[in-house]
Amino acid sequence: MFESIEDVQQQLGAQGYICGTSVATVVFLAARLEKPVLVEGPAGVGKTELAKVTARAAGRPLVRLQCYEGLDEAKALYEWEYSKQLLYTQILKEKFTETMAGAKTLREAADRIGREDNVFFSERFIVPRPLLRAITADEPILLLIDEVDKSDPEFEAFLLEILSDFQVSVPEIGTFEAKHRPLVFLTSNDAREMSDALKRRCLHLYIDFPDADQELRILHTKVPGVDRRLAQDVVELMQGLRKLDLKKAPSISETLDWARALLALNASELDEALVQETLNVILKYEGDIRKAQGELGRLLVRKTRPSEAEGAVAGPPPAAEDPASKPAPAKKGRLH
Amino acid sequence: MQKRVLEFANLLRKSGVRVSVAESIDSFLALDEIALDEREVFKDALRSTMVKRSMDVPTYDRLFDLYWSGFYDGLREAFGEATGGLEARGLDVEELLQRLKEFLERLGEGDLDLSELARALLTQDLSQLEQLIRRAGEGADVGRIENMLQVGFFTRRILEQLGAQGASQQLQDLLQRLAGMGLPEEDLGALRELLERLQEALRASVRDFTQRELQKQNFDYIEKFRRETLLEKSFYSLTEEDIRKMREVVTRLAQKIKNILSIRRRRRKKGKFDLHQTLRRNMHHGGVPFELIFKERRKDRPKLVILCDVSSSVANVSRFMLQFMYSLQEAFTKIRAFVFVAELGEVTHVFTDNDINEALDLALEGADVINVYTRSNFGYAFHHFWQNHLNALDKKTTVIIIGDARNNYNDPRAWCLAEIQRKAKNVLWLNPESPGAWGFGDSVMDKYLPYTDVAEEVRNLRQLSRVVDKLVL
Repeated sequence: MFESIEDVQQQLGAQGYICGTSVATVVFLAARLEKPVLVEGPAGVGKTELAKVTARAAGRPLVRLQCYEGLDEAKALYEWEYSKQLLYTQILKEKFTETMAGAKTLREAADRIGREDNVFFSERFIVPRPLLRAITADEPILLLIDEVDKSDPEFEAFLLEILSDFQVSVPEIGTFEAKHRPLVFLTSNDAREMSDALKRRCLHLYIDFPDADQELRILHTKVPGVDRRLAQDVVELMQGLRKLDLKKAPSISETLDWARALLALNASELDEALVQETLNVILKYEGDIRKAQGELGRLLVRKTRPSEAEGAVAGPPPAAEDPASKPAPAKKGRLH
Repeated sequence: MQKRVLEFANLLRKSGVRVSVAESIDSFLALDEIALDEREVFKDALRSTMVKRSMDVPTYDRLFDLYWSGFYDGLREAFGEATGGLEARGLDVEELLQRLKEFLERLGEGDLDLSELARALLTQDLSQLEQLIRRAGEGADVGRIENMLQVGFFTRRILEQLGAQGASQQLQDLLQRLAGMGLPEEDLGALRELLERLQEALRASVRDFTQRELQKQNFDYIEKFRRETLLEKSFYSLTEEDIRKMREVVTRLAQKIKNILSIRRRRRKKGKFDLHQTLRRNMHHGGVPFELIFKERRKDRPKLVILCDVSSSVANVSRFMLQFMYSLQEAFTKIRAFVFVAELGEVTHVFTDNDINEALDLALEGADVINVYTRSNFGYAFHHFWQNHLNALDKKTTVIIIGDARNNYNDPRAWCLAEIQRKAKNVLWLNPESPGAWGFGDSVMDKYLPYTDVAEEVRNLRQLSRVVDKLVL
């Protein structure tokens, strides 16, 4: 599926997902060793996205299981279809009478039915849920178990069998083994620590906020229209904000949202008033916003000075480079 | 290689990172798949197979540096300096070595008497050198090093094992032979100096290796020691730095309790049979009750009222208790926090409006609701609570009082506490003094004791976390 670590990086990059070697290494190992990956990290750094993109890059269909509190095996693994069983019983009533005709004793009648009871507990009456579907799929797939930390600790126990042996046991029928070993991604926001048993079966990947360079590349890939200088400013401010002690640090998805918002406002550079107005796009808590407002002056000053100096020198080239994407240089006034 | 990986896994275990046997096997499998010459990839591969908790990552990074990359980097630096010094003087070392190589070829392989070490030095084959030094280290039992004083001793032993002296002699001989073959004097001088420098770099590297080995032996010890002492350290003698570190420890302990909590809660989730839901759910089975639905039993989360003495003698206990309680907020239906020295004021709003650490600082400074620069008067504070906040209590409320009960010879007004206890579910008193001191001097703990359900000594974090544990479970 993947030739090498660079190949992983390239293929994911082709799908618009920029990642460092550490992410690529783990994805590569997961594909090679056929082991599940547990992806952890702060919200919004692209954990789920990684699974989706890997599925696309590997050309595998994605089966997704969203975890939540109260998720049980009936919703994740399989369920017996009672109503269908009931219906069949009704329809087959005559057949029953036929089978039991000539039975001399109750015991004999019961034995006869007993011989047939696997008719009712067969694959015909099973409703496969995502996990069973992933196991029994005819083609190799990628299974994404999203936000596994939201599920209950008992639920992890169901996962263990799948993660280590890629099989599901149904007591009445037997064991379903995977025809093709699925690639498995589990994501977690660390709301609760997963059990050691689960972790032992997985490779572990921790995705942190990207560094400035990488974030810039992501920004350019995902929001192509954004001005080079503006992108730089946005990324620098975001990196600065993350260093503050916030309740919820802004993640990449916020960076992208913000860049899109600024683009919609036709902004060409950041100034304090603009940032103040749009701060609620990046920060989601009142307390965080207040704290950031206090620090904004410092963050922007520190940022504008070098960029102005740089702008004086390297100002013309970027403008010359992308006139195609933005013919009219945005006005200083942000709204029109 | 496998042996070293196993050793490394052992080192991780000693430092408190859990690595199972299955995981070390995984790491072997992973290493089979990747190119070993890229250190970053190697590091990621080992990490993803061995380290499964993000909080262990810093430990892993430090140990990895100590065990794998650090020494090689040091080696490279030492040898870089050795050649760099010559280059700075305008010598082209590369060219020199090239010429040397040609000469060596002319001498012919069989004729040359060079040990592995001498050869590695000459060609500056660093990875070969690293291996040689490690092997010699094993031979010299460097793993047994225990303290700084032994660094010199082990360095010498490793050099002996390496055969450094022999190599030096061989290099001397080589120089002489080269001179005999007519290498220009100028080149010869430069070469002599280069060889000197390389040997010096070797000695420095071996010393570095020994020191790292010592650190490795001590690593787990230091780490564990630090953690242990923080847990045991008395609240009376905390430095600013300690407080900052303990914040993390408290957060971690709180997290641990939360995890356990979610398991225990679930165990008694199922309550009575729910007829309505069952009928509703089984409608599509024609009313035949295939699925039974049970009512979820209401989670019995306690309500908390915390009374914190914030006079300087107990401020730290109050600080960590408050941090604990607010980290575990979801374990309680409601928390109300009061602070007092003599006056008593509510600080609940401080915690809803601010980030936890700021809130703690604010609360301990009185948060503008009380004056903290007075002398403790528990009786007054309890009386005030009885007068104004008694409606905060009901039969589901646990009252936690944190204080040393040193009342400065004021009236204890124990009847107020008795009233409080009567209205509340129970009263828990945490006292940073040991029970032996209760009731002596100006301590009125003995007067209050009859009206508390539990009174505990809480002098350090370990005792505190034990109390919290009992409280929420």
